[in-house]
Amino acid sequence: MTPPQFPLPDTEWAPAAPFWAAAAAGRLSLPRCDACGRLVWYPADACRRCGGAEQTWVDLSGRGTLFSWVVVHQQFLPQYEPPYVTALIAINEDPAVRLATRLVDVDPTEPGLVIDEPVVVEFGRLRFPGVDGEVPAPFWRPIRSS
Amino acid sequence: MTVDDDWGTNIPLDDIAGKVAIVGVGESEHSRASGRTPTAIAAAAVEAALVDAGLAPEDVDGVMLGPGVPDQLDAAAFHAHFGTRHELWESQAGGGMRWAATAPVPAAEALARGEASVIVNSFAVAWATQRGSMTGGPGQTHAEERFKGNLEVPFGWFPQPVYFATIARRHMHQYGTTEAQLGAIAVACREHANATPAAVMHGRPLSLDDYLASPYLAEPFRKEDCCLISDGGAAYVMTTPERARDLDRPSVEVAGVGLGRSHAGTHWAQQGDFTSTPQVFAGPAAFAMAGIEPGDVDVATAYDPFTIVSLMQIEDLGFCPKGEGGPFAEAGELRVHGGSLPYNPHGGMLSHAYVLGIAHVVEVVRQLRGEAANQVAGAEIGVYGGYTGPEAATLVLRRSDS
Repeated sequence: MTPPQFPLPDTEWAPAAPFWAAAAAGRLSLPRCDACGRLVWYPADACRRCGGAEQTWVDLSGRGTLFSWVVVHQQFLPQYEPPYVTALIAINEDPAVRLATRLVDVDPTEPGLVIDEPVVVEFGRLRFPGVDGEVPAPFWRPIRSS
Repeated sequence: MTVDDDWGTNIPLDDIAGKVAIVGVGESEHSRASGRTPTAIAAAAVEAALVDAGLAPEDVDGVMLGPGVPDQLDAAAFHAHFGTRHELWESQAGGGMRWAATAPVPAAEALARGEASVIVNSFAVAWATQRGSMTGGPGQTHAEERFKGNLEVPFGWFPQPVYFATIARRHMHQYGTTEAQLGAIAVACREHANATPAAVMHGRPLSLDDYLASPYLAEPFRKEDCCLISDGGAAYVMTTPERARDLDRPSVEVAGVGLGRSHAGTHWAQQGDFTSTPQVFAGPAAFAMAGIEPGDVDVATAYDPFTIVSLMQIEDLGFCPKGEGGPFAEAGELRVHGGSLPYNPHGGMLSHAYVLGIAHVVEVVRQLRGEAANQVAGAEIGVYGGYTGPEAATLVLRRSDS
């Protein structure tokens, strides 16, 4: 299989392949250290906290908080279409682990976001103009009462 | 929120206080796209530094350059440029960024072992020229990194302005920092560049109103929060304090060096303390080696790719309490005229030139010799904060006669 075109992720890249495979099945999954129970992310052979070498991929609740975000106005790459909102999400099960994402259901011109507000995963597809193919991926959206 | 307090560490360095003198500094012309190669730019800077030191190319027996940086002035390029053929000690633990601060450590070892007696460290970039052909530049290496390419770039969390705008937003939340306070840093640096004829932004004033009226690039960042991309280089000449006394030039001695490292490397998304820099691990070690406190510093410089990186380093080096960098900048404390901590008096990477910090060291040396274009009156102790992201280093310099 030919590697996907930039900036799509290479879902066959071994360290993160289970992350992308889970996303394709609508699940959010990360490796957890068997010894100390902390999530090991980004992928590493040994747990950064306790040095444990054994890990198990586990499904997560898909709940988190909005750690920080940016509204991108500049077109940094021809494949990106500004404006868009990119963010880091702190995972409820281990808030020291943060996932980079794009927020959905947020208007870049009026984002109305609040740091640390609760967010929930929403699976969608990464697509880029002029780039062949698409990749199922976890996006996130604010949990709002209205 | 969980913060792991062991998110980074101090890397112990040899005590080199008083063992290295800087006896010459030089810069190339700093410009927008110029068509020059980095090697030619570095050679021009080294030539200027040798003239400044009153030394000939034959007097140089050691060269330092950046690790893994293409087209720098290594021993072969030095000989090709100057037409020399003598033996040259060479080290790739030099160049810009944090190495512009730590190069004196391997230099001290080479001087002590007699492997070299006069060592020149240089660094140059031609990224303004290369940007036209979409090669090189600060974004490319990050796009090619596997973790970022797999987990960050696909979501548009890329490149550097986006990482650091995310950090700025979190800093604002944690400490109440405002856009106008970031703007105060950009404005102070521009004022300093306006007083520095060699600065790329000389003659181009920036007011806080101009800053606030400027459109967002990666909100909360505007263009003026981000450093220049320019062509240029700089160099400095190191020798022993004994040799320095024989040269008829005011010299500056290395008083302290410190090095800190973040365990998250360039993966800022996972950095335990998201709104700090490894200067928290580097600064105290450098100040202890120099036997000084942050309050003793007369002039400070720091590697400033973005306003927020200046602000965090000013806090992390102990020049103000953590979280108070914004009000500190807003009160004008960073200004050469009237501020308590004259900061990047040449304009820094925001407004002087994008030479990845080595021009900051050149500036500190000129300040301590009393020869800077935008001089801080009576400066005796100066600091350079070097930064790569994964690492930060602190260099304390002192006037040799002080």
